[in-house]
Amino acid sequence: MRAWIRDWLVRYGTVLALVVLGVGFALAADNFADPYNLLNILKQISFLCLIGGGFTVALMAGELDLSVASIASLASVCCAALLHGDSIWPLAVAAGLGLGVGLGAVNGLCVVALKIPSLITTLAVATIAEGLSFLITGGVAFVGRLDSTFLALGRGRPGGVPAPVLWLLAALLLMQFFIKQTRTGTHLVCTGEAEEGARLAGIATHRIKVLALALSGFWAAFTGVLLTSSLSSASPTIAGDYLMTGIAAVLLGMTTVEPGKPNLPGTLVGALIIGVLGNGLTLLGAQYYVQDIVLGLIILASVSISSSQLGRAAFGAPR
Amino acid sequence: MHRIAILLIGLFCATVQAAEIGIIAFQMSSDTHARTANAAEQAARDLGHEATVLNSAGALPTHAEQLENLIQKPVDGIILAMGKLQELEEQLILAEQRGIPVISVMSGTSPHVLFDVNVNEAEVGAKITQHLLGLMNFQGNLLVQRYEGHGGTRMRGKILDAVLSEYTGIEVLDSHSMARTRSWREDVRAGMEALLLKHRGDIQGIWTSFDGQAFVIDDLLQQQGLAKGEVLLTGVDGGQEVFARIRDPRSSMVATVAIPFELMGERAVRALDRILQGADSDEFTRGPFLYMDAVLVDSSNVPAEGEWPW
Repeated sequence: MRAWIRDWLVRYGTVLALVVLGVGFALAADNFADPYNLLNILKQISFLCLIGGGFTVALMAGELDLSVASIASLASVCCAALLHGDSIWPLAVAAGLGLGVGLGAVNGLCVVALKIPSLITTLAVATIAEGLSFLITGGVAFVGRLDSTFLALGRGRPGGVPAPVLWLLAALLLMQFFIKQTRTGTHLVCTGEAEEGARLAGIATHRIKVLALALSGFWAAFTGVLLTSSLSSASPTIAGDYLMTGIAAVLLGMTTVEPGKPNLPGTLVGALIIGVLGNGLTLLGAQYYVQDIVLGLIILASVSISSSQLGRAAFGAPR
Repeated sequence: MHRIAILLIGLFCATVQAAEIGIIAFQMSSDTHARTANAAEQAARDLGHEATVLNSAGALPTHAEQLENLIQKPVDGIILAMGKLQELEEQLILAEQRGIPVISVMSGTSPHVLFDVNVNEAEVGAKITQHLLGLMNFQGNLLVQRYEGHGGTRMRGKILDAVLSEYTGIEVLDSHSMARTRSWREDVRAGMEALLLKHRGDIQGIWTSFDGQAFVIDDLLQQQGLAKGEVLLTGVDGGQEVFARIRDPRSSMVATVAIPFELMGERAVRALDRILQGADSDEFTRGPFLYMDAVLVDSSNVPAEGEWPW
C-alpha cells in the first residue's frame, strides 16, 4: 500500500468508519437519512460534544477532568433553582456558568498549587459538586415553570435547526480558533505535550493548566444550562451519564485528525459515531443491551489506540 | 394451489397486523422497571408484535433521545415504563403530532399520553401503614426510612404522616431520608445503621417506602441477631425476594404491598394493541390513570416460591 494512502487511513480511518456507518444505516434503516433525523442526531450529540470539548481542552493541557458531568449537573440545578426563585434568566445562566468556571479553577489550583494529580482532584471536586447539587435540590428535581426565553435557548429551532446544534457549532469554532490561532492556545498545547520543555521556554504552565481546567468547567456548566433548557428540568444527576460517553467520544477522537492527541474535530467525530450508533441501532430495532455491548467494544478499541496520551494525563508519565 | 394462496394471504394479513412497539424503561437496573418492561416486551411478542426495548439507564437526556429515535423510526406505539413525562413534554408533543400513541406505566400524568397505568399510591401507602401500625397495636416506637425523590414513595410518606397524626400512641423515634439514587443502598445502610445503634432496644417497627430499602435494613437486623417479630419491618413493591423474606423465619420482614408490575406492563401493551386496531382510549379509562389493584401480602397470604398473589 502506498505510504500516502496508509498515512491518510491512519489520520482519517475513524472518519471513514463514521461515513461507512452512516451509509450502512442509511441503506438498512428506514428514515435514517431523513434530514429531520440527521438534525436529530446532531441535536442529541450536541450536549455530549460540548462536555467532551471541555474535557478535550483539559486533556490538551495534560490534565484529566473527571468532574465535568458533576459540574454540569450542579450548574443545571443552580440555574433552575434561581429560575424557580424568580430570578431573571440571564442572572441564572450567569450563575450556572460562573459556578462552572469557579469549580474548574479550583480544580486547576489544586493541581498546580497543591500538586494533587488531576485524576484525584477532579474526582474530589466531582463529589463536592454532587453533594452541592443534592443540597440545593434535596434530591427532588426541578421540573417545569422555567422562563420561556430561557427554554428557547435549548428548545428553539431557528431556521429549522435545533438550537443546541447552533450552540455546538459556535462553541467548536470558538474553541478551535482559541487553540489553533492564539498564542495562549499554542502554549496550552505545548504544556500538554511537553510540560517541562514549555516551562523552560518561558510558558507559564501553571497558569495555562488552571485556564484549561477552568475552560473545561465552563463548557461543562454550559452543557448543564443547555440541558436544563432543553429538558425543562434539572436534577442532581442530569448529566451523570455524560462522563463515560464524553470520555469515549474524546478517546475515539484521539484516533483521528491528529492521531494520538486530543483534538476538537476528533471529539466531534467521536461524538458523531456514538450518536449515529445509538440512533441507527434503535431505528434497526436493536435491543438496549446490544447497543451497550457495541458501545463498549468501540470504547475498548479506541482506548487501545489512544491510551498512551490518557495514561500520561492520568499518571504523569508515559505508559 | 388455493391452500398456498390462503397461506400467503394469511401470512400477509399477519404481517399487516403486526405492529412495532417501542418500550422505554427509565432504569433497567431497577428491579421494578425491568419487571414492567420485560413483561411488556413479552406481551407484545405474544400478540405477534415486534418489540424494541430501550434502557435510559437513569439518564434524562438519554431518555429524551430514545423517545425521539423511536418517533423517528417510526414505531406504531410506545410504552414508557416509569418514564419522566414532564421532562419529555417536547418529545411527547412530537409523538402526538405524528399520531404515535403513547401509554405510560407508573409515570404520572401528561396531556400528551393516552393514560398512565398505575396503582393508587395513596391507597398503597394507607394499606401498608395501617397494617404495620395495627401489628404494633397502635403503640410503640417507629423508625421511618423515606425516599423523597419519587412521586410514589413521596406520596406513601405523606400518607404515613397523615395516618400517624391519628394514632398518638406511636412515636416516630427518627426518620432517615434517602437522597442519592445511584448509591442508595449504601446511603440506606449507613443512615439506618446509625439510627439502629442510637435506638437499640427501643424500636418496635420500621416503615420503609419501598422493599429495596427494607432488604438493606433486614440484613442489618439479621446481623444484629434479632428474631422475627422483635422489630416489625415493612416495605412496598412485592416480588419473589420479599415473599421469600416474609416466609423466612430469620427475617424481620412481615409485610409488603405487592404492586403488579408485570400485569401493568402487560395491560399497557394489550390496551395499546386494541388502540392500534382502532379502539378508543376512553374504553379503558376516561381519566389520566388506569388503576390496578395492589395486594397487601403478609404471612397469611404470602405465595409459594415462584408464585404471585394475583
